[in-house]
Amino acid sequence: MAADAPARGRKPLLRWKPSPSGSARPGSARAAADRRLGYLLVAPVVLLLLAITAYPLIYNLWNSFHFVNLGLGGLPHKFVGAQNYTKMFGSSLWRAALVRTLIFTVASIAFDTVVALGLALMLHRKFRGRGFLRAAILVPWAVPTVVSAMLWKTMFDPRAGFVDYFLGFFHSGWANLTWLNASVWRSWAVIFISDAWKNVPFVAIILLAGLQVIPTDIYEAAKIDGAGAVQSFRRLTLPLLKPALSVALIFRTLQALLVFDVIFIMTGGGPGNSTQTLSFLNYQTFINNLDFGYGGAISVMLVVLALVAAGIIVRVFRTEQT
Amino acid sequence: MATNLARTSARRLVPGAAVVAAAVLVLAACGSSGGKSVSGSAKQTIVFAEAGLGTEGQQTAKAIKAFETANPNITVKIDVLSSDSTTYLSQLEHSFTAGSSTPDVFESDVTYPAKFAQAGWVLPLNSLNATTSQFFPTEVAAGTFQGKIYAIPWFDNPEGLFYRTDLIKTPPTSPQQVVSDAQKAMKQDKNLKEGLAFEGDKYEGAITAFLTVDSAFGGKLDPQNLNTPGNTAALAWLQDAIYKEHIAPTAVTGWQEGQVQSEFSAGHAAFAINYPFVEAVPPSAAVKGHIGYIPFPAGPGGTPASALGGEMLAINAKSQHTAAAYKLIQYLTSPPVETARAEATGDPPSLPSAYTPALYAKAPYFKNVKVLNGFSQPRPVSPNYLQISSDLQVMLSSVFANTKPAAAAISAAAPTVKSDANATPGG
Repeated sequence: MAADAPARGRKPLLRWKPSPSGSARPGSARAAADRRLGYLLVAPVVLLLLAITAYPLIYNLWNSFHFVNLGLGGLPHKFVGAQNYTKMFGSSLWRAALVRTLIFTVASIAFDTVVALGLALMLHRKFRGRGFLRAAILVPWAVPTVVSAMLWKTMFDPRAGFVDYFLGFFHSGWANLTWLNASVWRSWAVIFISDAWKNVPFVAIILLAGLQVIPTDIYEAAKIDGAGAVQSFRRLTLPLLKPALSVALIFRTLQALLVFDVIFIMTGGGPGNSTQTLSFLNYQTFINNLDFGYGGAISVMLVVLALVAAGIIVRVFRTEQT
Repeated sequence: MATNLARTSARRLVPGAAVVAAAVLVLAACGSSGGKSVSGSAKQTIVFAEAGLGTEGQQTAKAIKAFETANPNITVKIDVLSSDSTTYLSQLEHSFTAGSSTPDVFESDVTYPAKFAQAGWVLPLNSLNATTSQFFPTEVAAGTFQGKIYAIPWFDNPEGLFYRTDLIKTPPTSPQQVVSDAQKAMKQDKNLKEGLAFEGDKYEGAITAFLTVDSAFGGKLDPQNLNTPGNTAALAWLQDAIYKEHIAPTAVTGWQEGQVQSEFSAGHAAFAINYPFVEAVPPSAAVKGHIGYIPFPAGPGGTPASALGGEMLAINAKSQHTAAAYKLIQYLTSPPVETARAEATGDPPSLPSAYTPALYAKAPYFKNVKVLNGFSQPRPVSPNYLQISSDLQVMLSSVFANTKPAAAAISAAAPTVKSDANATPGG
């Protein structure tokens, strides 16, 4: 440190010396100075975080209880109580978007986790080219969602894409399927595939990291005790993978609850409103209608939903670990 | 002790509060603007926002250079915003909601002026003695809100029906004939992939495609009265074109005007509902010299139909250079400049007088464009148009995907459209 070995001819930047015991006595003047220095050092980061996270959150909460429509610039932003929330809970559009979002979240998380677990177990085994494969599976995750959604949209295009061309080999009726905006189920299928392609590797890498910290000797001990592969997986791998699983689940749940870009690119919420999720509805309220009051209420509910989901995951995993 | 703690907390909070207050003041200062308007003869720089890329952008730059030469005291800074209409609108709105005095003058879609006017973002041009009698009246109406002129027509894009003259010898005279001609053409030319191409994606273009057909069936896009037999018949015709007559593919549900133009120019479609720019794009050998362009033919009780598209020019209400900005608008919408733009880019002039023999000699299709301008129907002129548009897009998307019959979709959408159209500020 500068105080221990100051450059010759220069004053140390900080007049800080460790106390003989290694730390200042609580309540002493030095301890107070240390605290002040600590606060000073973290102050820029705290200010920055407050400006970019706390301020928008609080401002959004304030908006949600007011009439704030920027498209009607001259009107006062008057307090409307819970009116925006009443409107939201009474809206069939919002309720339908909520159901779609929840179904998408559950389905995509279940699928992503199962496939990613298989992928992680495979990549955990020793085989030639493992290093290359581990790096390669990260590529989809590194591609921005807008780009990957555009790629998948093109691949599923009935004229320009290869999917219909490929399916046509198996059945002539599949050669000219229009996937997006012509059928609710096919639209969801493409959204789901595109989303999974991007996110499965992310979950797989987290689970792979979890697998790597499990000591191998317990498997050997289990083998000596007569445990088979399935038993080892159920009794050892899964329980010991729970911390990594909970992290992956929290990340994926939040991502899935806020799904927007893939839908914006692929269907624009169509056909009709059948792929409109909460985030998409929120985008329309904010950007199309410039209604920051109602949009604020939808955002607040999204945050509440995300917090509840994260809380449930943390609680479930903590309870089981105990 | 509690008092000391409170005092200490207060002392700690004061510097933080000061920093926050300073930040708020800085932000407020950034957002503030306004002040005296500069005289048109003073030396000044104005900002012009446009979405023009490619030849359109180049032509605008060329015209502005000529304007600067003619008005040496005015320098025009061109601000090229996004070519995506939704992003372009957002960029403008961000400037306006922040209270910015720039752009001074900007390009506006025909559907924006009413919204901008209600928000108080655009200057009523009556104060500058703007005259509009020289323009096509439908586009003038799109720029007029509550009796005041807020935007001047720049170019006027009537959407109509393109057809292959080599496959369809006489233009169809009814919607039913469009179907039968398309079916015949598909049998005759095996290179055709569809009889009719139109914009069926869930976006604004689907509304203009519908509007192009609508009045041919006696329909009218009136938010107060959407559920009419004419509107239902027009929408059912488009749905049947896909699922009953099979002249349009289900792929139209993903097509915007660019894809429709590609299909027609490549020789894959006998008919296409689209804007005049199709004529300006070099087509394939099979299509070259075989392009007809007409209003959509009328059915019983209807009139030949076309939908109004196009761009207008408006002035920021907070601009300090309104006189210079209006000078620029006058220049860009003068007959020779509009004619030159039409020749270079294919943007149809908003002035009937700009359709000159010289223009016809260079691009004969402008004769048809001028005819279509006489039929073009505007979308609803409403400050709530974006909400109305969103409702209509949902309705059209569900019909084009065949998840609802046309009549059911219209009767479901009508109350929402009416309610959104009548939504009052703060209500």
